[in-house]
Amino acid sequence: MKVSLFITCLCDIISSDVGKDTVEVLEKLGCEVDFPEQQTCCGQPAYNSGYLSKSKEAMKQMMKAFKDSEYVVGPSGSCVAMLHEYPQIFKGDPDWEEEANKLAAKSYEFTQFIVDVLGRVDVGSNFKGIVTYHSSCHMTRLLGVKDAPKKLLEQVEGIQLRELPLCEDCCGFGGTFAVKNPEISEQMVKEKTEHIMETEAEYVIGGDMGCLMNIGGKLSRDNRDVKVMHISQVLNS
Amino acid sequence: MPIKLGEASYKERIQSGIENDFMRGAVSSAQGRFRSGRLKAAEELGNWEDWRTRGEEIRTHTLENIDFYLQQLSDEVSKRGGKVFFAETAEEANEYINNVVKEKEAKKVVKSKSMVTEEIGLNEALEEAGSEVIETDLGEWILQMDEDPPSHIVTPALHKNKEQIRETFASKKGYKNSDMPEELATFAREQLRKEFLSADVGITGCNFAVTESGAITFVTNEGNARLVTSLPDTQISVMGMERLAPTWEDMEVLVSLLTRAAVGQKLTSYVTAITGTRLEDEVDGPEEYHLVIVDNGRSKILGTEFQSALHCIRCAACINVCPVYRHVGGHSYNSVYPGPIGAVLTPLLDGYDDHKELPYASTLCAACTDACPVKIPLHEQLIRHREIIVEREKKSPKSEQMMMEGFAQWASHPAAYKLSARMARTSLKPWTKDEIIKNGPGPLKGWTDVRDFPAPSKQSFRSWFKSRQKKERGQ
Amino acid sequence: MSIQNRDSFLQNVANHLGRPRKTEQVERSSFTVAPQWEVFKDHTQDELADELEAHCKVIHTTCKRTTVSELPHVLWETVKGYDGKSVIASDDKRNDAFGVTSFYKELEEQGVEFQLWNPSDGHYNMEFAERADVGITFSDITLAESGTVTLFNNSGNGRAISLLPRTYIAIIPKSTLVPRMTQAAKHIHDANQDGHPVSSCVSFITGPSNSADIEMNLIVGVHGPVEVTYIIVE
Repeated sequence: MKVSLFITCLCDIISSDVGKDTVEVLEKLGCEVDFPEQQTCCGQPAYNSGYLSKSKEAMKQMMKAFKDSEYVVGPSGSCVAMLHEYPQIFKGDPDWEEEANKLAAKSYEFTQFIVDVLGRVDVGSNFKGIVTYHSSCHMTRLLGVKDAPKKLLEQVEGIQLRELPLCEDCCGFGGTFAVKNPEISEQMVKEKTEHIMETEAEYVIGGDMGCLMNIGGKLSRDNRDVKVMHISQVLNS
Repeated sequence: MPIKLGEASYKERIQSGIENDFMRGAVSSAQGRFRSGRLKAAEELGNWEDWRTRGEEIRTHTLENIDFYLQQLSDEVSKRGGKVFFAETAEEANEYINNVVKEKEAKKVVKSKSMVTEEIGLNEALEEAGSEVIETDLGEWILQMDEDPPSHIVTPALHKNKEQIRETFASKKGYKNSDMPEELATFAREQLRKEFLSADVGITGCNFAVTESGAITFVTNEGNARLVTSLPDTQISVMGMERLAPTWEDMEVLVSLLTRAAVGQKLTSYVTAITGTRLEDEVDGPEEYHLVIVDNGRSKILGTEFQSALHCIRCAACINVCPVYRHVGGHSYNSVYPGPIGAVLTPLLDGYDDHKELPYASTLCAACTDACPVKIPLHEQLIRHREIIVEREKKSPKSEQMMMEGFAQWASHPAAYKLSARMARTSLKPWTKDEIIKNGPGPLKGWTDVRDFPAPSKQSFRSWFKSRQKKERGQ
Repeated sequence: MSIQNRDSFLQNVANHLGRPRKTEQVERSSFTVAPQWEVFKDHTQDELADELEAHCKVIHTTCKRTTVSELPHVLWETVKGYDGKSVIASDDKRNDAFGVTSFYKELEEQGVEFQLWNPSDGHYNMEFAERADVGITFSDITLAESGTVTLFNNSGNGRAISLLPRTYIAIIPKSTLVPRMTQAAKHIHDANQDGHPVSSCVSFITGPSNSADIEMNLIVGVHGPVEVTYIIVE
């Protein structure tokens, strides 16, 4: 199966390891992974801030980049959910409406793709440690991916999964929110990391680097001994 | 008070909210209870999504045909001896109500909880004209004594603790007992009974007006709305023009959604539907009945992308799940309507000038949209607001505009993007120590004030992928 | 002048909707779902009574089950339990059939102050109700799901009976039980369509009054009755 990786700008530039693990897991599962080099950012930072016309520039670039792809898979529920918004955004635009529909229809979040398209839950990984899982808002509520990550984690050998209290509560990232409303964002990530500490987990796992960067940044600032990992890193262990 | 509560700036309000430990504890535990109550109620029903769909269908149809349904409602109320006044503005509504009160030579007015009367500043208008106004909902009564605005649309005094309430009762009403909630409530019952019995006019809001028969419905737990509608001889109901249910069967569905979404109850203690004046041989209920239907900016919302915001049934489910509300409290929104629905509605009703920060007071986590029993896409409407603020009102900060201009260039030119990917690590080097940035420059500052930022990867993903491909080809 | 400012108001609304004003009954397309009709769909009256009884625990309401012949006795026990020295009750056409009329006579003979709601007594009804210990009415439609009694208030059943006294007793003929509010709403809708005007006040009452306005503590008994008993009668 041919898969085009949608790396997301955050993973591309800040956390490239996540991208590598994503590729390796997909290959392990028999996918042929390519990387369309013309891709940039899904446009979400501008779109969510109200810069609709500016965000469309980015979106058009993405539609061009993935024009010939069969499947588009990205290691972020939030960025993939953005691609799923394209049809709404380009509705009635004679030049782009069809492209938007096509891209949305073939785009999947990483765990969603493994479980729903490849039909796999056991990817043969092995990871020793006590972990808890933060379900990112856009992945669960916008994209509707609720169970796939947990199904995959449950099959990882050696893993000890602990329920995170108020798991579906936002961590306070919210893209530009973290910078525009740092006071509120701080309270939210503080609460989130407190809940993580309550679980006494050694690792907090998530499917979105934005949230993980926020949570990890706070844990690091408070000198907490909890490591942050993207789910692809666990599945590639 | 009108929609806007005060003059403090957004940052000041946020700060004082965050520093109010009691309020935050109270809100957090209330949210916990509301949330589990709502989820349990939804689970008991089993097919909650179907209920939401039904609710949405009712509200959509009603708003699309609101002119007909308002006409039908006013005809039916009129047939049953009621008088109906259509008020385009808050001032018109207040003036009409003041005139009724004056004509009746009424001295004392009792009120049951109503958000729309808060919105139009009715109490102030009545008091200015010399009437004594008494709020009879326990929470509202407490706030009225303290001259404090509500911070939640269902439990208005959520931000107050029982000791504060005891002090208020003691200093304003000579209360001498403990701060036990039961004793406080018993005292309120005794005090307010006297007020009900001596009031000349009763004023209520309206949860749903059943247009097919002209019934005005109240959904309450305390019973004060029943007292307000049973004892005074003159009664006035004030409603936002969108609070309509075409039929009793529609009303029933909306009430079922409201009580479950608000507090997880199957029904509240009282759902009361009153129609016009009391009949000839009846002795309680009003002999004179007025219905005041308020626009106050709502019609401007019709026909726009925000029309579904008028579907709101005021259950506060969005408020009860909102993590931003949890940390800053209701008063931080500086509006009669707080939380996600407040952030959507307030700028629509009262303009962007005083409320342009509200649409940004959300991480767009969509918990509100998920919780809404009539499926208002709240987080999407917040984005629509941001678009208007940026693109039509041009009120976004200059620095942000420049940044977004840069973003568009960067994201639409892969070469520029590639270059930045390569340069990111180097350009942040001066601030990086042990792979961590603790004191970021420019836009990163807000981030690193609170938490660390990771140093960009040594090698971007795309360059890793490329070199890997080369290697494979070389082999 | 019983309707003021309507035309300009509604014209403005129509303008914003971008179409001419609608003045004729509007068409409704059918709903895609009807979950409200699924609740307790095939329950018998006995099963509905069981559901009601179970839910009474949630709504802080005492539930008793009895027969017509035993009803006076159960009422007496309940009034005594509420320390009822004064009782006000609705003038209901079912009073005779359920043996309640004779029970009320008995009450007075036992020295309990009693008032049967009577329009010709005017405001006195309310004054009595305000100081009464117990209010008694029949339920017209009873909603099993939520534990709710529905009263169509009228000249014999004043709004105050179920509201002002310290405690309230609802007599529930088993035949009045329906699954939920859906059936009550349909009944009212149908009656209205058939030209029977809706009662000036329809009260759906679910247990005693309560409030959670002080630190979210549930306080049972605020403005309305503090205690409530339902008596289901076979």
